[in-house]
Amino acid sequence: MSSAREAFVLPSLFLTVALLGGVRVADRIVLLPPPLFTLVLAFLLVGVLVRSGALAPERLMSASRSPFANLSGAVVIVTAFLAATQAFNVAIPESGLPRLLFSVFLLVLLINTLAASPDRVRVLRSVLVIFGSAFVLKFIVLAALSDPAGGWLKRVLIAMLEGLTLGTLSQDLYRPATGYIAFVTLSLFVGALALLPSRPGELQPWRHDPVRGELDRYS
Amino acid sequence: MRESTTRTLGLVLAAAYAIFIVWLYVRQPQTVAEMTGALSATVGAYRIDDRAFADGLRLFRADQFDAARLAFDRADPAHQDSRTQFYIAYSYYRQGWGRIYNDDALFARGVEAVDRAVAAAPQGSVAVDDPDLQLRSADELKAELQAGLRRELGDLNPLKVFRKRK
Repeated sequence: MSSAREAFVLPSLFLTVALLGGVRVADRIVLLPPPLFTLVLAFLLVGVLVRSGALAPERLMSASRSPFANLSGAVVIVTAFLAATQAFNVAIPESGLPRLLFSVFLLVLLINTLAASPDRVRVLRSVLVIFGSAFVLKFIVLAALSDPAGGWLKRVLIAMLEGLTLGTLSQDLYRPATGYIAFVTLSLFVGALALLPSRPGELQPWRHDPVRGELDRYS
Repeated sequence: MRESTTRTLGLVLAAAYAIFIVWLYVRQPQTVAEMTGALSATVGAYRIDDRAFADGLRLFRADQFDAARLAFDRADPAHQDSRTQFYIAYSYYRQGWGRIYNDDALFARGVEAVDRAVAAAPQGSVAVDDPDLQLRSADELKAELQAGLRRELGDLNPLKVFRKRK
């Protein structure tokens, strides 16, 4: 990995995610600090990244590197953690039953991924799916349910959720700009994760998979 | 570029960016004007528009409070000048004051404005030397606004109609 990527690109991307992750646009702009639980989720996500080889801390901090290079590597790790915290801040609803359900679901999902020890590519795909589905649920489904004006999606969802009090599901209503900012934030985050220095040998995990190797040979 | 230079620049930029983010989350600016104003106030370079402030003061003294607040907002778009915010709070007090009852919504906005005035003051205390005002400090004004917002038995005292606006 080039020193420019380590010193400029990754910290800038992660800090931008940390900045945009709390932005909510309503009647005024609000910057929401991350809830404590997102620190736990971020910690688990960093653990998953390290275990899968998507993040190789030894390529950022080790005895063979100069102290200055180690400091630069530490900045990458710390900013990645902060960005993960804010990415979860974007993904988790702000109140009510959805907040509890999302938090528990993400916690179980991350623990499960940690236990499964997947490779780098699968972890990155999994992260994309986690944040993508959280985005759709929060900014499209829950936003439609919380919209007092309603629409076809709200009518369909109300019909599906017959008997459930909407008060437990509805969220603070934000302007559409919030959803666009959230989308950019999560895209930047997943993109930055893909740029992290990975463990050698984890770059192409299928090289060690004999079945995949055979398939590649004949394709 | 040498590697050490790249790393030094990267560290400086990352530190500055991180400080900026923390500052934003602490100050919570609502608009770009507030953000730039707060930044310039941090380095002591913020100045209000004196002409707009004079207009606001003239309208305030003529009891045209909505117009006065527009002028004060023009004078201090970043809400960083304690004196202007004090006058905005006072305009909410005078507009919301009533002989029978006070307008709670205006008084609540007055409390927000006086809090902004205190936050913007260097030592956290605001004193305005204006003979037209009976409440000349942020503490007095805030206490008056909060008293107006409280519900108590004394509100039923019919003699309250003889009280005077400050």
